Amino acid sequence: MTSSTLPNQRPPFYRDTRTIAIMLQILFLIVVLGVGWFLYNNMVARLAAGNTAAGGALSWGFLGQTAGFGISEGPTFRPEESYGRAYVVGVINTLRVGIVGIILATVLGLFAGIARVSNNWLLNKLAMVYVEIFRSTPLLVQLLFWYVGVIAALPAIQDAAPLGDLGYLTNRGMHLTWIFPTETGRALTWWLLGGVIVGMAVAWFRRRQLERAGAPGSGAIAGVAAFALVVIVGFLVALSTSAMPAATTYELRRGDRGTLFEDVNGNGAFELNTDRPLAYVPITLFGADGQVIATGMTNGDGGFRFVDLPAEATRLEWTTPTPLVISEPQRQGFNFNGGISVTPEFAALLLALVVYTGAFIAEIVRAGINAVSKGQWEASRALGLTTGATLRMVVLPQALRVIIPPLTSQYLNLVKNSSLAIAVGYPDLFNVSRTIVNQTGAEVQGILLVMATYLSFSLITSLFMNWYNKRVSLVER
Amino acid sequence: MTTDIRSTSWVNTNHPAPAQKPPATEVGVLGWLRTNLFSGIGNSLLTVVTLVALYFIVTNVVRWLLGAFWEPIWVNRKLFAVGQYPLEQLWQPAIVLLMVSLLFGLSAGRWGNIMRNLGIGLGALLLALALIPIGLQAQMVMAASLALLVIGYFIGVRVAISSRWLALAWVLSLPATFVILLGGVNLPTLGVTWNFAPLVESNLWGGLMLTMLLAVVGIALSFPIGVLLALGRRSNLPVVKVFCVGYIELIRGVPLITLLFMGMTMLPLFLPSTWGNPSQLVRAMTAITLFSAAYLAENVRGGLQAIPKGQYEAADALGFSGFDKLRFIILPQALTKVIPAIVGQFIGLFKDTSLASLVGLLELVAVGKAVIQQPAWMGVTGGVAKEVYIFIALVFFIFSFGMSFASRKLESKLGFGKR
Repeated sequence: MTSSTLPNQRPPFYRDTRTIAIMLQILFLIVVLGVGWFLYNNMVARLAAGNTAAGGALSWGFLGQTAGFGISEGPTFRPEESYGRAYVVGVINTLRVGIVGIILATVLGLFAGIARVSNNWLLNKLAMVYVEIFRSTPLLVQLLFWYVGVIAALPAIQDAAPLGDLGYLTNRGMHLTWIFPTETGRALTWWLLGGVIVGMAVAWFRRRQLERAGAPGSGAIAGVAAFALVVIVGFLVALSTSAMPAATTYELRRGDRGTLFEDVNGNGAFELNTDRPLAYVPITLFGADGQVIATGMTNGDGGFRFVDLPAEATRLEWTTPTPLVISEPQRQGFNFNGGISVTPEFAALLLALVVYTGAFIAEIVRAGINAVSKGQWEASRALGLTTGATLRMVVLPQALRVIIPPLTSQYLNLVKNSSLAIAVGYPDLFNVSRTIVNQTGAEVQGILLVMATYLSFSLITSLFMNWYNKRVSLVER
Repeated sequence: MTTDIRSTSWVNTNHPAPAQKPPATEVGVLGWLRTNLFSGIGNSLLTVVTLVALYFIVTNVVRWLLGAFWEPIWVNRKLFAVGQYPLEQLWQPAIVLLMVSLLFGLSAGRWGNIMRNLGIGLGALLLALALIPIGLQAQMVMAASLALLVIGYFIGVRVAISSRWLALAWVLSLPATFVILLGGVNLPTLGVTWNFAPLVESNLWGGLMLTMLLAVVGIALSFPIGVLLALGRRSNLPVVKVFCVGYIELIRGVPLITLLFMGMTMLPLFLPSTWGNPSQLVRAMTAITLFSAAYLAENVRGGLQAIPKGQYEAADALGFSGFDKLRFIILPQALTKVIPAIVGQFIGLFKDTSLASLVGLLELVAVGKAVIQQPAWMGVTGGVAKEVYIFIALVFFIFSFGMSFASRKLESKLGFGKR
């Protein structure tokens, strides 16, 4: 028997694919790092040559400096506060328009998408026209159209006619009647939160119970009932225990304006960060000789201001308010008092985002519904379900699996598109960051901050949607 | 003997009753109305509600249209078309239009499919512009372009032009467009300056021309980058893969407007100070290209994933090298598959170029803003913003909807999306 050994034909190391792979990667890394180093060096050199107020090329110290500019809406922001806090206000404003926009766009898109598959020809075509028009034109043009073309053309404040009891539509924004929790209703927020938790827990238990019993239903009704019960109890408790703080006092300036507050440190003067202003408390103003001059209510910041009083007020009395109060907007000179105000910038941005994204969502919903096989419709019809029930209980749950991935990216698009706020001057995070950059010259840091924020939005949304997608996806072997 | 079959007793000799016409409520207008609008109580109710809503929408739109004031658009039609490009040098954009029309005609004849659909759309647009009295010279240019489009089509159908040469002509048309619009070459950094006409700096380019240019450059330049990124994302080399995934996800996670501002303010920082500052147009184009590349990479990746593994294995078995495998087997199939997706991306990019108005480029939307603020319209009650923005929206609509229509026609022809 001849034993033949194959000659050792391993290729030389420089032709080994594994070596080549490693060499290629090292080469790639060198090129990337080289280019990066080149760009970074240029940037440092140019920044050093130019005079940036940011203090050093890449210092983050500017975030602590005093901002010196105001922000027109969102959480209260005073110019004395820092750039960092200004940016946080911008982020909150982005989330505000983003969350409201996502909810409304989903509702609009769902309706338009269902209308697109409706067998009613007229409704179908109407939805089609809506989708095609708003999908095929740029969001920026739509935004400017709503802002400059529509909202700016609404009547001025002094000419605005009320929309029944709802409020007013003016070119300076929408002023709507709204329900606010008053000083004695502060605890209601906690009751509301508790109600949500209890409601969810009850719904979960009820669903498990129903599943064990093999009965239909999702436990949603039980959950809503539990929620309502908790909230009503909370309201009654707040109503029966409502009392004003013992140290309540007021500051009256120029006989017509001032603040009602709880004097925490007992010095009699209102200090913004120590004393607690009292919101939505009914007040009565008295003149020097004891006659009633005006009655009204403090606003959300505990302040009050009356115009055109017959005489100067010298004294003020307050009564204990109910936990909730309905506040209607009232014209006061060239502005409105009370109610809730929506600025034209917010309204235009929200409208544009909702209408634009709604059109895309409608197409996604339509594609999802069309992806459910026709046999499902026919089977549920054979079982005697109505069209609405078929849609709700058979088709949409199955369509949801197809709908969710593209829907996620639409939600993210909406949040990213809200950066167009800069075109109308709504102070979202990008707009605020531009103001900060213009004042401090911290160009690079500003861009990095904005990018990091948007990326974290993307990440959080993706994580949530992946979790949800996993929940609704088919359970397979 | 033959027997007449009808004489057999079991044959029914009574002719069946003549077919009756279907009831009037099942066919014709009435039947259509019944099936499509009034098939049940719910449906009828829906129809009535929709009709009422439609009535309000239509009457308001018609009332507004009757009172609308279109003069600002008509007066500024040149501004909307090419921006502040010098009047006496408009023959340069005209040459670009003629060149593109000829290329479109040749490609439509040679390649058919989506190019033919797009060519038909372009032809219809040119015809409309040639017939509307926008100005004699402009109309003549439009008519000449239309003629070149048609001539190119017939040449493309009859003559077997090499696809490679045609593609090369398209690739070269992009730098040619820049040279023609600029009136020469002006690269002081490289010491190259040559011109055949007074140089028209890019800050004078504007209007629809600039919008188109931004979108076309954005797709064309991002194409090679996007393909490389897509290949990198599917690579076996972890370093390359991580880099490509990181780039794609980073860019897709941030809004275009941040990249545009970044390009405007930070691009000059990244270059050596000896290179000077690139023009605003170059900065915006860089930002748009880098943005578009990430999205294009995802589209191409979709195409790559749709190639069966057997194709790779067959290429390996035939002894193709890695590059040849991509060049001859994988990419041709993958890229053909993603044409509709790339058209869709082009439409999106075309709309997104409107953001360039926020960083100081005078494209369509910026021209619109300027027109609204012209002193001549200050006295118009209610302003002219509605008219101007509706016009701009209409221009965008014509192009985006036209392109998506052409693409959808193609999809239905190829049977994509049909199961």
